[in-house]
Amino acid sequence: MHSHKGRFEPTRFDDLTVTVDFHCHSACRFCIVQEGMNLFRGVPIEKFREAVERNQIAPRYRRVTFTGGEVTLERKLFDYLEIAKRSGSFEHVRLQTNARLLADESFTAKLIDAGVDEFFVSLHGADAKSQDYISQRVGSFDEAMAGIANIKRLGAVLMTNTVLTTLNVDCLAQIVDTVHPFAPARMEFWNYLPMEDYPDERDLLVPIAQLGPAIRGALARAREYGTATAVKYVPRCILGEFGDSEDNSQSDVVIVEAFYDIYPKFACVHEARCEHAETCLGLTHSYITKFGWEEDALKPVARTRPWQEPEYGGWSTSDGPEGGPLLDAQSHPQWRALVDGVAELHGGRLADVLVQRRACAFRFVFGDSSVDVVLTARDSGPALVRSKAFDVHYRNVMGEVVPALRAIIRDAAQAVVERDRGEMSLDARKGLVGPDAVRARPASGARKDAR
Amino acid sequence: MQPKHVHVDASRLVRPAPLASLPLLPSTAKDRYFDYCLEAYSPRRPWQGKLRSENLVWHALQVGGTHDALAAPLLAIQRSLGADMTVWGVKWDGARLFWELYFYDPQKEDVAARASSVGATLAPWLVLAPVVRETIPYMMVSFDLTHASASAGRIEELNLYLTGQKEHAGRSYKVRGDGSVALENTYRFLEAKPESDAILALLQSSLFVDYSDPRVLSKVLIPELFACKKICVSKKRTCDAIYYSGITVEQLLWFLRRFEYPAALVEFVVAHQDELEHLYFDVGIDYRQDPVSGAMKYPKSSYYGTL
Repeated sequence: MHSHKGRFEPTRFDDLTVTVDFHCHSACRFCIVQEGMNLFRGVPIEKFREAVERNQIAPRYRRVTFTGGEVTLERKLFDYLEIAKRSGSFEHVRLQTNARLLADESFTAKLIDAGVDEFFVSLHGADAKSQDYISQRVGSFDEAMAGIANIKRLGAVLMTNTVLTTLNVDCLAQIVDTVHPFAPARMEFWNYLPMEDYPDERDLLVPIAQLGPAIRGALARAREYGTATAVKYVPRCILGEFGDSEDNSQSDVVIVEAFYDIYPKFACVHEARCEHAETCLGLTHSYITKFGWEEDALKPVARTRPWQEPEYGGWSTSDGPEGGPLLDAQSHPQWRALVDGVAELHGGRLADVLVQRRACAFRFVFGDSSVDVVLTARDSGPALVRSKAFDVHYRNVMGEVVPALRAIIRDAAQAVVERDRGEMSLDARKGLVGPDAVRARPASGARKDAR
Repeated sequence: MQPKHVHVDASRLVRPAPLASLPLLPSTAKDRYFDYCLEAYSPRRPWQGKLRSENLVWHALQVGGTHDALAAPLLAIQRSLGADMTVWGVKWDGARLFWELYFYDPQKEDVAARASSVGATLAPWLVLAPVVRETIPYMMVSFDLTHASASAGRIEELNLYLTGQKEHAGRSYKVRGDGSVALENTYRFLEAKPESDAILALLQSSLFVDYSDPRVLSKVLIPELFACKKICVSKKRTCDAIYYSGITVEQLLWFLRRFEYPAALVEFVVAHQDELEHLYFDVGIDYRQDPVSGAMKYPKSSYYGTL
């Protein structure tokens, strides 16, 4: 959401992902936070507690996902789970895990007792040979499969995640075969995102010509089994008849802010002509730089409506792994009340309220013109006016700037100042910064036996 | 009137004045926002608490050691044409900075923007040597400012830009002080994303780049800059060029780093990134392939704003 005119990864602002800490007992060859492992810190528990308390006052999040690193390694995970469970403000609690420690059935049961009802398990190989090679840990496949069996035995929701790289592109359909007996609610396939390795020196990016048949084969196998699928970061046109599996949405992740500095951006040379421009991300800049724009391989679907450069990603509802209808967007009554009635005074209307972690956008429409009046955390930068808790701005002016639109902006800003009693808040930062965010690196050349 | 010649302290060229000395010029309610074609745009964010884009050129002049020599003539230009009505370019060839000023008057309605008028405005400091017949239907005139021109107090060449017909086959001509004229380049503006097919076709019609390797295109149509408003494809005498118009300050920073601009310029934008986020910027890149190694070479690049 921080970029303009690039491609956006749609964010599910109803779903919050909390990074608990960054340790891992696997060493996956494609790890995208390899540099940050053991260095990044997770979200301090006080910050999480504050977020939960705010969620009780003005509900925003329906699901919380805990991740790492490998989150099951963290003893303090249970403290986070207790806060989440006691609050009663989340419909679902999810763990993203390699499931190795879940091979211990009692541990899995303890997690479920603590409130976890969904497990999102990373599985990157079809068998011990391929998985253990990727994770660089012998036995990791057998442990994960035992963990998956325990999840099912104990009645929790199972989803899997496979990162698509040159290391597993030839066994994607077999991975579906491997997981099928456990009846996953959904299998996800995420194309590898080069972050710390922009030039892809590890040669993990799969050329489209090779990836296309492989991912379509896996999706076909899943369809045979009746397994729901989701594919991220693969151009939709490459998925062929399985285009509906495309889902690039992500939960709102709280992580070290430096993570976003290297987070990939996307582009597609056919964007403005493609019907799926608002949901398909295209290719990462890194891929384009390495392999080219793939202008012949990518096939735009002719648009049926005008294309407009997006300012924001589209609205994504909360996750629905069971394959049922997606949950409706929340109406956010407390936020809506801040500007209720203003637009109507000038013959306009409030078309949308988007509550994100760092911003609340009120989209006002007057005739063919529209504008977003945006709230951010107070004193986070220049502002039109400041209320008790917020800075008030406007942006994304579309169409003719008619006097009524100016009046709506002015009166909406004034209404926020008058009605904001300081009970609601927004995060000032996208992620974690300062001493909370990272551990000190060991001194260069420090020896293990130096203590 | 005899023009004054500018005395340039040579030691200053080597050791520029301390960079902290220039006052920052804040955005005001009177500011207008134009791209490098002097086409208006709405700022991305409210202007309050932000900086004018001209801060970038003043700073670059200082980094390049020509601020003291060129400040007065540039201010005179600004007074003559009015604030925001002159386009500046900061250019970098990997070794030296130089500058270009652009004056638009496609409708022939602003006397101050004519080559002869600009020459008169500069006259106390710089001689604009080429003489332009004002009946030529040029829509824009520009000229480079370098250490050499500042030292000599004389601008030897200028460029006249003529618009094309339906296909917007714009041309620019180099006009020299000795009266000689040469066709310098052709160019065409297109909507970046909606007209990407035409852009690809124009790019690939090249004498200087072999696009048979599909990876080459991304070294010219750069993904980090593709998210822009307009792309201008230009064919020059010794290379091709591409211009990205309407990029954000984040993209400008990426560009400055990618093309290895002097650290002081990068640091200035980093330091004021939040105060420049309301603006759009434009950048240009000259390129050609090394005929032996096939490596892409970028002999010159540039970024633009208004004064």
